[in-house]
Amino acid sequence: MTIWWLLLILGTILAFGTAFIWIAVHLHAAAKPVKSLAESLQGAAEEDVDHIFNEEFREELRNRGRLHFEKILGENAMFLQQDLRLTTSQMNEFMKGEITKELKAAFANYENAISSAKELAVESIEKTKTTIDQERQALVTALAKEVGEEKDRRIKQFDERMGQVINHYVLEAIGSQIDLNDQLEYILNEMETHKAAILEDIRSGT
Amino acid sequence: MAPKSAHQLKLPTLVFGIVEIRRLRRELEALEDFVSQANIREPGKQPQLPRTSRLLDALATENNMQLLQGEHRTYMMHFLQAIEDEAPNIHISFAVDPSSAFTLKIVTWLRDNIHPFALLEVGLQPTIAAGCIVRTTNKVFDFSLRERFTGSQDLLIKALEAAMAEAPPAPVTAPEPAGAAA
Repeated sequence: MTIWWLLLILGTILAFGTAFIWIAVHLHAAAKPVKSLAESLQGAAEEDVDHIFNEEFREELRNRGRLHFEKILGENAMFLQQDLRLTTSQMNEFMKGEITKELKAAFANYENAISSAKELAVESIEKTKTTIDQERQALVTALAKEVGEEKDRRIKQFDERMGQVINHYVLEAIGSQIDLNDQLEYILNEMETHKAAILEDIRSGT
Repeated sequence: MAPKSAHQLKLPTLVFGIVEIRRLRRELEALEDFVSQANIREPGKQPQLPRTSRLLDALATENNMQLLQGEHRTYMMHFLQAIEDEAPNIHISFAVDPSSAFTLKIVTWLRDNIHPFALLEVGLQPTIAAGCIVRTTNKVFDFSLRERFTGSQDLLIKALEAAMAEAPPAPVTAPEPAGAAA
């Protein structure tokens, strides 16, 4: 019984508390001041704005903005492309000019080097030619001298061996036709001529 | 008949040189051996001599020697030995090999004019063309055509110079280098 009473009391207390809070809230709301006209207009305008700039309008604006952005982007890309082409062209021209200049300089250097080498080669060839001419002259002189000496030597040798040469010729020409019996008289005459010398040598003995 | 002394014998002209002398000596020795053996086999009997060479026959005939008599054979042997030891040897070179008749004439001349026992040694020297070269003990006598040409060298040179003077040869010039022509 007591518990029931306690619960009843607590329920009553809660009912009273809730009623008190509800009254207090309502009283507080009723105690607020009234808004001004400007604020009311502003509020109405904001509500209209929300009505005007609704989602479709915003989407439309977005699309327009997107198109505009794309247009600007395309123009800029075109400008960038033109600039790039111009830059590339200028770059090409510059590179061409630089390369041409470098090549001209290099070719000039090469030409100078080739000219120097050519001069050196010509000078060397001239020197070689001079040397060869001198050598040739010396060689011709030496050769003429040697040929002269050889000629003299051959003539001297020929003179010295004239008898042998003619003997060889006679031997080759008619050697097989010379009969020893035909020479008997000549041999005996020669031996008769040198008889005294032969006798002398035999008498003197060894 | 008593045999002559060794130097009284005559050397046949068929016997040219030392080769024939030695051959005769060998033949005489063989004959001596044969006779000795025959006497041993059948003493007192005249042996039948073997066939002797033409040279030995000539030697015996020209000197009136009997090969059957030992004394004669001994003399001939001594004679041949003396010839081999003492006779002058003359060497003669010819361009071709001489015939026997030619050699005989040469030997005859040598025996008549130089020495009765002169021996001939024949040589062959084709380069002399004609004539001969005689070599005695210490000397050489060149009777060849080669020597005759050498002796007449001045005459040959004069003849050549005369021939060249009639037709002078073209002058010899050094050839130009290949580069000079271009």
